[in-house]
Amino acid sequence: MADNSLAPAPFSSRSSAMAIFGRNWAVFFLLVMVVVFIFTGKNFLALANLQTIIYSATTSLLLAFAETFVIIARGIDLSVGYVMGFSTIVCAGVIRDLYATQFGVHWPAGVAIALGIVAGLVASLACGLASGILISRFRVPPFIATLGVLGVAYGFTLHASDGGFPIAFLPNVLTEIGNGYVYYYNPVLHAYSFFAPPAGTTGPQIKELVRLFPNALILTLVFLVLLWHLLKNTRFGQHTYAIGGSMDAAVRAGIDTRRHLVQVYVLSALLAGLAGIIWVFQTGQGNFVPMGSNLELFAIAAVIIGGASLNGGKGRIMSTLIGVFIISIMANGLTLTGVETFWRFIATGVILIVAIVVDQLFPDLL
Amino acid sequence: MTRKSGFATFVGQRWAVLFLCLEVVVFSIVGQGFFSLNGVQIVLFYGTSLFLLATAETFVIVTGGIDLSVGFVMGFSAVISARLVAAMVLAGMTPLTAIILAIIATLAIGLLPGLLSGFLVGRLKVTSFLATFATGGIVYGISLLLSGGGETKGVPDLANVIGNSYFLYWARGKGFSIFTRPEVARGTRVIEILPSMLVITAVVVIVAAFVLNRTRFGRHTYAIGGNEDAAVRAGINIRRHYLVIYALSAFFATLAGIIYMLEYITGKPDAGTSFLLDSIVGVVIGGASLYGGAGTVWGTILGCLILSVLETGLRMAGVPTFDKFIAVGLILILAVLIDQFFPELIHKED
Repeated sequence: MADNSLAPAPFSSRSSAMAIFGRNWAVFFLLVMVVVFIFTGKNFLALANLQTIIYSATTSLLLAFAETFVIIARGIDLSVGYVMGFSTIVCAGVIRDLYATQFGVHWPAGVAIALGIVAGLVASLACGLASGILISRFRVPPFIATLGVLGVAYGFTLHASDGGFPIAFLPNVLTEIGNGYVYYYNPVLHAYSFFAPPAGTTGPQIKELVRLFPNALILTLVFLVLLWHLLKNTRFGQHTYAIGGSMDAAVRAGIDTRRHLVQVYVLSALLAGLAGIIWVFQTGQGNFVPMGSNLELFAIAAVIIGGASLNGGKGRIMSTLIGVFIISIMANGLTLTGVETFWRFIATGVILIVAIVVDQLFPDLL
Repeated sequence: MTRKSGFATFVGQRWAVLFLCLEVVVFSIVGQGFFSLNGVQIVLFYGTSLFLLATAETFVIVTGGIDLSVGFVMGFSAVISARLVAAMVLAGMTPLTAIILAIIATLAIGLLPGLLSGFLVGRLKVTSFLATFATGGIVYGISLLLSGGGETKGVPDLANVIGNSYFLYWARGKGFSIFTRPEVARGTRVIEILPSMLVITAVVVIVAAFVLNRTRFGRHTYAIGGNEDAAVRAGINIRRHYLVIYALSAFFATLAGIIYMLEYITGKPDAGTSFLLDSIVGVVIGGASLYGGAGTVWGTILGCLILSVLETGLRMAGVPTFDKFIAVGLILILAVLIDQFFPELIHKED
């Protein structure tokens, strides 16, 4: 890539090898990065580490999927990180209030959690509806509409958490589910079990436990398949690409673009809300994501690194998956290599620039 | 254009000014000590960083772009200037020389992120949103590296004396004095007028308004934002122009970071992150269009005043400050909706 980085040549003269590389540079980059980390990172290839990468990528993956739909429809959703935080606080708050004796009734943990999940999803649904209606009906630019929703959601989040204090005293079953694994094997007892360590596992043996397939991976796989199908094989997906490709053409083709845009932003907000609920399960408390973490920007970066274009009509779920893993494996590998995590921001910025420049040089790709 | 009643047009055209007046009236009633010299100065003191960042954003938004890196550049320059001052003092320089040299060096270093964004946008035709996000990420990472994630210590107290000084002091029997606090007996009240950092900000903003409004550079900026193709045909060197615009934006942000260092005698990477939302909102309330070609520095300052009065007023009225985010979000949406319903009111430069 270095040899022609600044001189766009006519596409006909480009060799097919170059084209294949350009088309799949993100995959190649991911592979090279993995190979490098295998040599430099301590225990990078260990089973536990690979599962940690998948586990900690769950929420970023959902945010990036949310952003994928919006970006394909030629929009942008700046609010995903804050909608996620909002849903986290609402979900955790409802669980805490119900789990503690409320209205004279001691609510069982299961009911409290179920109602908390519903509350979190409703909160994010409201955010999605607000941005969707502003964008489709009032023709507010997506950037501004979602920025406004971001501010409102952030304000409510801080309000509900008394200025950003974590919401604690939630039932332990949350983290048991959120941080659990599907399969456990105890090498000392030669016993195995599903979803919980084998009966009779003692304290010291917990270290020896073999854990396989984090619960989070089930969810990730389900959403990966569902959203891939939604985008690739359904009319909803087709219309999303159509609207992103050309709004005028989509209107002439008889697509109800207003309704569709509202649906796209609602979907985005719901996925973000789901990420917030998973965050409650993983941390066991309503720890709202602070302002400096820029979750939405990492989500957008992942989508763009995956090869989507901000000009709309371009992007795939699987490419977004690659983009998310480039960012999260980089963070993990750099930590294991002993590089300070601050480099993560620098490296993400540089890869993003590479991705955009590749997109400029090979605009016909994907 | 459909006919609208005279009153609606009147309100629509001046809604920002009217809203500001309304805010002032409401907060004067509910806020404790809001309507006083001190209250006004608190509003303006909070506003200094915002005025600078929003002015930076105005130039970029008038060209039809957006600069997501202003907050990060501000943090970056706060860290760099604090580190430089601390290192120079440690090397044996007098505090004053160290501060002056550090400010000059930081102003130069602070241009680099702007040049990078400008190069990406102008030469490589990258969307400004992504280019500045990438630059912001890189700059944020560097400031985290330099500061070790925390605050930078070792800035001499002289910085504090400069940063929190006032332009004018008045004490009974001593009269006015400029920049230096009069020596008075304990308990005597000294009236402080105009924070010096505000004076510097005001000068910079006035120059910026002049550049955007009255010079050829400013006219070209509106031309590019109005129609880039037409600007190219008219012979404007847009590559160079973008380079200058983003460098200018970084310059204002750097200045905000240096002022932060002087006021708080420390530098931290997150110094400016909370201002990003406010600065964009300020510009949009001020009547600029995100599609480019419209917007003025004075409009932006008006927009920032609305936000700054809101922040200070809510605090003085005893409302938790985090409720301001709800208000800011709603005002932003309100501003855009008004633009949608009164599109003919956006002030175009001619």
